[in-house]
Amino acid sequence: MEEFSIKTKQKDNISILDIEGYLDAHTSVELEKCFEKIISENKFKIIVNFEKLSYISSAGLGVFMAFIETARSNAGDIKLCAMSDKIYNIFDMLGFPILFEIYKEENAAIEKFN
Amino acid sequence: MDKTNKILFKSSTKNLYLLRKFIEDKAKTFGFDESSVNQIILSVDEACTNIIKHAHMYNEKEIIEVELDTNENQFIIKLNYKGKAFDPNNISNPDMKEYFNKFKIGGLGVPIMKKFMNKIEFLHLNPDKNSLTLIKNL
Repeated sequence: MEEFSIKTKQKDNISILDIEGYLDAHTSVELEKCFEKIISENKFKIIVNFEKLSYISSAGLGVFMAFIETARSNAGDIKLCAMSDKIYNIFDMLGFPILFEIYKEENAAIEKFN
Repeated sequence: MDKTNKILFKSSTKNLYLLRKFIEDKAKTFGFDESSVNQIILSVDEACTNIIKHAHMYNEKEIIEVELDTNENQFIIKLNYKGKAFDPNNISNPDMKEYFNKFKIGGLGVPIMKKFMNKIEFLHLNPDKNSLTLIKNL
């Protein structure tokens, strides 16, 4: 069975989350916990790399909505990158690029923070 | 109807993966392209997630019956379940500008279903049976 996993790395003061597999109402709980942990450590500059994510439902989108305000009000942000067309189309269809910065490559998101 | 398929799922988000796989195989076999298959999978996921959360309140003892019918050019997914009745057709799409301004969470499953499926029908039968039908044209 295809799983969901998160690998986190730190680059200077930026937390980078590599998410893999499928993000639905079941697995989004894991991502939510990961965000909670990062935020509790007062890390508010966050990049999520979607390169290995194969599926997202609205439950997954809700996780990003849940933390964006906190990140921004603490001089940080949640920037998204490396989405497949399939995933980007879901974000785009609902208008998420209005609120979220979405980059083709991780480096572009890192540069934007710097 | 050319074919009927029926499968029962325990009402748990744990089973969404299996449900998606089931729908994916059937939609591919029916002849949809990849993009349409993805739209159907996501719509059924959203519909079942709503049932699990709102009708069954995460009670895994509840069951969702997924019934697939096809005719010449339609793929018809019927979700039969007990519990609180909910007709997606009665829900207006959110104002996304306001949604983002107020950092809202949730409520996007129905707009996704409405966008990707050609028709949504809801039927409540007394005393306690609901039937939500999602239809996608080939």
